Amino acid sequence: MAVIEREAKVVNPLGMHARPAAELVKVANRFKSAVEIRKDDVAVNAKSILGVMTLAAECGSSLFIKADGEDAEEAVAALLALVADGFHEMHLKAQEEESADEGAT
Amino acid sequence: MSGRQLRGVGVSPGIAVGPAVVVRWALPEVPHRVVPRSQVEKEVRRLRAAIKDVKRHLAELRERTVDRAGVDEARIFDAQILMLEDKEFIRGAEELIRENHLTAEKAFEFKTFEVRDLWAGTGSPLLKERLADVTGVAIRVIQHLMHRGGADPWDDISEPSIVVAKELSPGLTVQLDRAHVVGLISEEGTRTSHAAILAHSIGIPAVFGVRGAVERITGGTTLILDGSRGTVLLDPLPAEIADAERTETQRRERSARLEEVVTQPAVTLDGLRIALRGNVDLPEEIAAARAHGAEGVGLLRTEFLITGHSVLPSENEQAAYFARVGEAFPGHPVVVRTYDLGGDKFPAPFRGAPEANPFLGWRAIRVCLDQPEMFRSQIRAALRAAAKAQIQLMIPLVTRLDEVERTREMVAEEAGKLKQAGVEAADGVPVGVMVETPAAAVMADRLAEISDFMSVGTNDLTQYTLVVDRGNARLADRFNPHDPSVLRLLKQVADAARAAGKPASVCGEMASEPLSAFLLLGLGYETLSVAPPKLPDIKWLVRQVSAAGARAAADAALAARSAELALDALRLALAAAVDLTPLDLDARLPAARRSGNFKA
Repeated sequence: MAVIEREAKVVNPLGMHARPAAELVKVANRFKSAVEIRKDDVAVNAKSILGVMTLAAECGSSLFIKADGEDAEEAVAALLALVADGFHEMHLKAQEEESADEGAT
Repeated sequence: MSGRQLRGVGVSPGIAVGPAVVVRWALPEVPHRVVPRSQVEKEVRRLRAAIKDVKRHLAELRERTVDRAGVDEARIFDAQILMLEDKEFIRGAEELIRENHLTAEKAFEFKTFEVRDLWAGTGSPLLKERLADVTGVAIRVIQHLMHRGGADPWDDISEPSIVVAKELSPGLTVQLDRAHVVGLISEEGTRTSHAAILAHSIGIPAVFGVRGAVERITGGTTLILDGSRGTVLLDPLPAEIADAERTETQRRERSARLEEVVTQPAVTLDGLRIALRGNVDLPEEIAAARAHGAEGVGLLRTEFLITGHSVLPSENEQAAYFARVGEAFPGHPVVVRTYDLGGDKFPAPFRGAPEANPFLGWRAIRVCLDQPEMFRSQIRAALRAAAKAQIQLMIPLVTRLDEVERTREMVAEEAGKLKQAGVEAADGVPVGVMVETPAAAVMADRLAEISDFMSVGTNDLTQYTLVVDRGNARLADRFNPHDPSVLRLLKQVADAARAAGKPASVCGEMASEPLSAFLLLGLGYETLSVAPPKLPDIKWLVRQVSAAGARAAADAALAARSAELALDALRLALAAAVDLTPLDLDARLPAARRSGNFKA
């Protein structure tokens, strides 16, 4: 049995809204270990979408991912990769960014 | 007038006229009842069965959304389905039934309010938006448990109507029947909310963020909804309705007429073939560029691969992206602009001390040449993708000849290394100069000799020539791409490229604006790269004019003493040749440059 905890930074501009939360919960549920995610002083069950959404993690916020169980290492690695990849939606822009444009055309 | 008009944000364009149907998509009143101890397990089973049914219904909606709006939109239902699989939440509801003897609907409502209070307490706007999903799911489950079948409020709309709601959950929006729902008004929601995205892709005009809509609008009131301007007019006069209908007809005719040219070649009346390409900033724009008939990509921006990421994109990731774009435009070139990083557009690894003048600072090709590993990985990715597609490289912000020469050396070196390593890659790729500084325009003849093509970025060229920051609102009317100085540089670049036998194109914003596109044709640019939604306008224009007429107009513009006079000359020449009604000619010109009282 191992307990692993690692830090991850939310990098996608829209933050962890419904779709990323859904992705994260799906990945967490693939593992047997109990997985917990903490932001500031709020910790939630990573297998509960309502819990994960409660974190309202915006772009730039730090998450601490902790897994406890036989596949803890794999679980944490998979979740870190998902967060680092911006939940596969780096291309979606935050609404505020609109087109202050840098464009350089 | 103002008393009858409500304002919001137009989230899906078009005008709709019709009677209002006010939808109250809200949790029903759940009576407080307890169940006898003997019935508790039966109540738990009833809850589980309801959840199962609603999950199946959501899965159906998901499928329907895939068909109607695409896979991305359908993903919103994943989150809703997962909520019904949330063990903590469901177990909590079951505990309430077992321990407090609540009915299934009361227990579910209780848990829903718990989440709502928890989320409201965080004050997070992100969660506020998502509450619609939770509430939507709860409404479905509770209505099901209370045997209020037909959980969808549109079921009894019988004539074409405008739906007014406090908030529209995506689940509701996707079930919209276009025969019965002609417009949408919502108090909540923004341009990026799911419902807005769906309304847009389904093509129903919509205005969101209309404060007090549900209170102010009574069912049956006739409304005019303008999804382009974001307004709602209550109880319109017959003349106002006629006016709105006329405007909408014109809008549709205009877009239909423009869409017709998509499949036709971009040839001027006197037979000059013009290549029209698309500018692509983000992967989402590939489809739009294709749909509008782009012949390749004249400006493929690569910054999205890097901004916001904490690590640089891998060579594989880049090669896959370039290849994917290449495959979308078989037989046509895709011009990859090398990283145009600088100022605030820096990935974390390169962030240094802020510069006093970032636009005169360490950016674009200067960064790439100083960070050869990053640059070389982009070059290798382009070479690999070029094995199967017509990939070209374009260097931004060139001011010196050696910047092109060093880039070419690196391309040759990397091609050699890839070959040696046995990696499938092209022997080389065409390397072009993005002309966006006065230095590059003045040296265009020399640059043309050592590069494969030239492409003008008109915004930066204007800003650097006129010394006007285009983000500075006080200088907005000084930012003018039609200034005689800029026109002379544009002419000089086109002439230099022609003399050297190299193609010249424009990929800047000017190419997307009809009057300027006419000017560019006249200056001798035979390739234009355009914002995808503007491709039909520009193609329509090309097919209406002659190259000889455009040349005469460009000569007149070049002879003008000011930007205003140059624009007047162009308008006069274009109006003499073309019926301009299909084009909204001023739409893309800066406000100060619009025609004002000049009517051609």
